[in-house]
Amino acid sequence: MSTLDAPGTPPPPPRSAAASGVRPLARKRSRPSEQLFKWLVMGLTAITLAMLVWLITSVLVRGAGSLSWAFLTDKPSSNPARAGFNSALRGSVVLMIITLTFAWPIGVAAALYLEKFATQSAAGAERKLRERLDGGARGVRRAWMRGRLWWLRVRPGVVHMVDVNISNLAAVPSIIYGLLGLAIFVGILGISKSLLAGGLTLAVLILPIIIIAAREALRAVPVSIEQGAMALGATRWQAVRSQVFPAALPGILTGTILAMSRAIGETAPLIVVGGIVFGTAVPSLNPLDAGNEALFAMPLQIYFWTDQPQEAFQAIAAAGIIVLLATLLVMNLVAIILRNRYSKRW
Amino acid sequence: MVLALAAAAIISILVTVGIVVVLVEEGAMFFTNVPIGEFFTGTEWFPVEGKYGVLPLLNASILIALIAALVAVPLGLGSAIYLSEYAPERLRRVVKPILEILAGMPTIVLGFFALDAVTPALRGIIPGLPLYNALAAGIVVGLLITPLISSLSEDSMRAVPNAMREGAFGLGATRRVVSLRVVIPAALSGIVASIVLALSRAVGETMAVTLAAGTVPNLSWNPLEGMQTITAYIVQVSKGEATRGSLQYESIFAVGLLLFVVTLAINVIAVRIVRKYRTVYQ
Repeated sequence: MSTLDAPGTPPPPPRSAAASGVRPLARKRSRPSEQLFKWLVMGLTAITLAMLVWLITSVLVRGAGSLSWAFLTDKPSSNPARAGFNSALRGSVVLMIITLTFAWPIGVAAALYLEKFATQSAAGAERKLRERLDGGARGVRRAWMRGRLWWLRVRPGVVHMVDVNISNLAAVPSIIYGLLGLAIFVGILGISKSLLAGGLTLAVLILPIIIIAAREALRAVPVSIEQGAMALGATRWQAVRSQVFPAALPGILTGTILAMSRAIGETAPLIVVGGIVFGTAVPSLNPLDAGNEALFAMPLQIYFWTDQPQEAFQAIAAAGIIVLLATLLVMNLVAIILRNRYSKRW
Repeated sequence: MVLALAAAAIISILVTVGIVVVLVEEGAMFFTNVPIGEFFTGTEWFPVEGKYGVLPLLNASILIALIAALVAVPLGLGSAIYLSEYAPERLRRVVKPILEILAGMPTIVLGFFALDAVTPALRGIIPGLPLYNALAAGIVVGLLITPLISSLSEDSMRAVPNAMREGAFGLGATRRVVSLRVVIPAALSGIVASIVLALSRAVGETMAVTLAAGTVPNLSWNPLEGMQTITAYIVQVSKGEATRGSLQYESIFAVGLLLFVVTLAINVIAVRIVRKYRTVYQ
């Protein structure tokens, strides 16, 4: 070390860190264990991606040969060479229409309520109601006001319950929704095992997903928009209807498409509700006939074919999967485009 | 108008009430015919002969979920560590959505993949493997839940503030040490919760296990054998025409109730874990 240097002269830089007795902060070359760990986590990521590639290529290789225009337009057949996907496609379209018709309005309304109305202060409304009650309201009006007062009191508890409930519902296995549909729609309401029963079941299944997505979209709209509208004299309802809701709509639609892409791939609940019918019928595209049409859907047809022992059915099952995955791809692309095109930075 | 919106919100509670009422009511009908003790301790599930011991079904569901976890935990955690601690930002933005494709894959597709590709490939390694086996089912279910683990774990690892990493780097820690000893412990609640949630998804998974593991109830821990899970049994009965009110019809609600309780319990545990052990950083 530099103890021998004359005082006053600056100490020469140490030749090496080791010679100076100072431990190095970092070595240039990483230790083998470092490299090994990096390669390990990289490798695990690569394996996951490779499995996805394997999955997609194996389906493509198996099914591409059976894919043709005739495959899309032919009806089902017990002869694999002639069997087509048309009934399944039509069934899925009708299912999606029914699912959307029921799940969307209810889901969006629930989201609007939970996000915009449930949490608003009850104090003012309560005072007004009490004044009117004391002012001598009679009969039905009085009962109605008492009901409103009661609702304002229990509202926080109910809202909390709904909150917890929705996140739990989203985690319930889809087959359980099938059991619900079977017992309620088929058993109690007496709807036949049809596209209608299947569509209603899928609507219940995606309801919590739509609510969660719509709430997130509504939350992304800054409160200042709503407050601005209300400062100009709009009621909360007017502010939400004409300002907040239109601003959140692209986000809500994106979430809806993603929920629909979940619904279109669901198999288990449909089997539970409708069973597997082997038929050669071609369901009508009119959703009003759905109550009389046998339950056809893309995933059901794929399951039916996969379950057949003959090798030839595996190829058309793969072709069906390609169509299903292509549909999903298109839906997701639309969702992404919608999000990128209309999403606003506030 | 607002009341109509409130009514829509309350429908979601009605759905839950509906699920519970339906399962309990039909399940109760089942248990008037089959004693609960016999249901939970019986080792044979053979509805045609009136043998309703649920252990083989439950066992198969648990075994396949465990195999899935064995596949998904290393893959999911490895990907999460790589994406959050090593990968450049641009790569991460590409890889993460690709991984999530797996999570959105219809399970029927994974079932087809198990039968058509995974089992034949496994047969190359394990000669004499039957077409229907729990191993292939577990592997594809593992694949299905991997993105669940990687995505949620990565989110909670990225929520660990950079100051903690920089502090550790400043003390001379390497990237591996920072990942394993700083980031993972700090994000542990989120990581464990993601694994627990993935398990619940695996137990409730239906089509992949129905296609890949078969429809023969089999009380065995041997993953090379075929076995029927709770969900596969429900599918098998639903496929045929079980008449409403028959014991078989009621039995799917009884096992459905069991499945519902199991998954609900797992989800409640996950929420508890997050709530109890979460550390909030600014």
